[in-house]
Amino acid sequence: MVKVFIYPSTSLILSDMVDRWGHEPLGAALQIRERIQTPGFDSPPLQMTPDDPKRGLRYAAVEVPSGVRGRMALMGPLIEESEAAIVINDADFSFGCMGCARTNELVKLLIRHRDIPILELTYPRSEEEGVAFVGAIKQFLTGLSEGAA
Amino acid sequence: MKEYVPIYVGTVTRYVFVDSPDITPQTLATRAYEVSEGVMIKETCFGLQVTGMPEEVDRLIEHIRLMDPNHIFVKDRGFPPGDPRRCRANLGGARPGYYGHEFEMGLIRFVSHGLDAIELMDEQDYPEVKHTRTAGPGLDARTLKRLIDAEEK
Amino acid sequence: MTQKVRVAQLSCGPEHSGVQGEIYEAAEAVNAEMFFPDLTLADIRRYYDEFGLEARSPDLKLAIARAKALVEGRVDADAVFIATCFRCAEAAIVRNELRRYIHEHSDLPVVSYSFTERTTAGTLLTRMEALTTIARRRALLAREVQEGLTLGVDSGSSTTKAVVMRDNEIIGTGWVPTVRVNESADEAVALALKEAGVTIDEIEAIGTTGYGRFLVGDHLAANLVQEELTVNSKGAVYLADRQHGPATVIDIGGMDNKAISVQDGIPGTFTMGGICAGASGRFLEMTAKRLGIDITELGPIAMKGISKKVPMNSYCIVFGTQSLVNALAAGSTPEDVAAAACHSVAEQVFEQQLQEVDIKEPVIMVGGTSLIEGLVHEMGQLLQTDILVPPHSQFIGAVGCALLASGFRGGRSDESV
Repeated sequence: MVKVFIYPSTSLILSDMVDRWGHEPLGAALQIRERIQTPGFDSPPLQMTPDDPKRGLRYAAVEVPSGVRGRMALMGPLIEESEAAIVINDADFSFGCMGCARTNELVKLLIRHRDIPILELTYPRSEEEGVAFVGAIKQFLTGLSEGAA
Repeated sequence: MKEYVPIYVGTVTRYVFVDSPDITPQTLATRAYEVSEGVMIKETCFGLQVTGMPEEVDRLIEHIRLMDPNHIFVKDRGFPPGDPRRCRANLGGARPGYYGHEFEMGLIRFVSHGLDAIELMDEQDYPEVKHTRTAGPGLDARTLKRLIDAEEK
Repeated sequence: MTQKVRVAQLSCGPEHSGVQGEIYEAAEAVNAEMFFPDLTLADIRRYYDEFGLEARSPDLKLAIARAKALVEGRVDADAVFIATCFRCAEAAIVRNELRRYIHEHSDLPVVSYSFTERTTAGTLLTRMEALTTIARRRALLAREVQEGLTLGVDSGSSTTKAVVMRDNEIIGTGWVPTVRVNESADEAVALALKEAGVTIDEIEAIGTTGYGRFLVGDHLAANLVQEELTVNSKGAVYLADRQHGPATVIDIGGMDNKAISVQDGIPGTFTMGGICAGASGRFLEMTAKRLGIDITELGPIAMKGISKKVPMNSYCIVFGTQSLVNALAAGSTPEDVAAAACHSVAEQVFEQQLQEVDIKEPVIMVGGTSLIEGLVHEMGQLLQTDILVPPHSQFIGAVGCALLASGFRGGRSDESV
């Protein structure tokens, strides 16, 4: 089982595909769950606190807006933990954790600079593209298993 | 500052989406209840949310996926179901993630078709996917070379 | 309990900056509730496309779509709060355009704010209070004439002001430096009562505003306790006799600055802030002190100088003072230095705040700093307009309070009609 970072990190499709072919999807939900299940001071809705943008300083300088650094506090550890990644490049309507274009640019850069297998593609817009999309993902993920074995 | 005491600690919550001509969210729920064994099940307009200890949830998901594997999709969720911080009734509008799901569910039939199709195909017959960094049309090295070659002739 | 004011939130970043809870808390403190206008994905795409501003960030697209839904009446709201990350250029464009769009195409009061992870509910409170006041108290703000015998107290960060009014006339004023909030208020009130020749028992209604409004409001058992944004808007158009039509109110205070775009005496959009004391009245006080003159002399002296002759960057009060000392050491005249200090403050308010409200004439300057004519002159030069400084402009908050408080005489209220 390989830890696969998914982009968008809120993607239902990628989360499902990675899980379906036996790997562990690394998405935003894992980070949010960790915060939601940790006691502390109340900070609705995500239990993210001003400490998160401070943690984000590991990935972006202090001059970078707090929303970018806060989001990086979620994404950064997932990127560091990842052993492979699948990136969908035209995810223009993913909100919340993926709602900031600047963060998204930085996330992709950090992933691309890691020495791990990466599959980059776009969303399927037809049945034919659906076959190519699923085929490529399956091939990529089963390839990871063989590599790991 | 108000203290925060989490609930459902140690559990996981997963969304189960169904987009199938044969299975409705209700039939999915009925089957899930049959094998729930303590896993909390919440019906939604798109399918289910299931909450429980990780291995119990995995077992339940594995079971219900079999109903229609290529039309049932599963994803992790950070919040437990009905959490007031994420509830539409409290926010006045959908949480941000909802729109992302709405977007992907609009494309899911192509994914289902892909899953159906590749079951009948050998790996070497998979059509080539657009490996692209940006959404727009680009010029890959091979095409560029072809164009240069054509120009030289 | 009155019904909650429903404030639509258009934002990118507060949840991930850890400040959404602060927004909720500020709203709750003024009996308001934040909500996120509900749309479908198809709505988001359509409204975003129709608006025409190409944003790359999905959450900003969502904010744009929600703004359009509000303006078109698809979603009901009492007020709008726009919040995006400080230092984000893309968000700044969206925030400003949405604020302008909502202001021009609807009656919804709107406030925009750029936050950092250090933003607290306390910082947001005055803005949220003003926003809900405009939404909730339109009847109160409709008052144009002062009636009976009323007292207004403005407990500011530098000075405390009190005004006694009778039948639409100012009959007594008091002005003291703020030392201890309640004691200073008592002193200012005593001065105003003495000049008016009345006793506190004769006063029919009391209003308080400014930083110390809650404390002084309790202390004096005030009928009205109100933040300074709405009170100053009201006071400004009342004193300047511009109660109808548009106006822009600028108040450069001791601790922060306000710029308010007013329509018929009611604030539409406003900004409040000041990154550093370098852009406040405090800097002018320091300049006067360094020049060895009284603050009241600074304005006339500045009028005799030429600001361009002295390089000054008072973005920070420390460095600003340093430039001032350097200029004097290099032989600059006190007149030029005074003019440069006024220009510097005006320029910073112009750059930091006036960009965020639509400047509509007349521009009315109020507060203690409006008496420094060099500052008013420099601001007029920057805005290319003649600035109006109404009589008693230094008492603006107290006058606004005395005016609005007259709606509460005899236990009745403008709002109950």
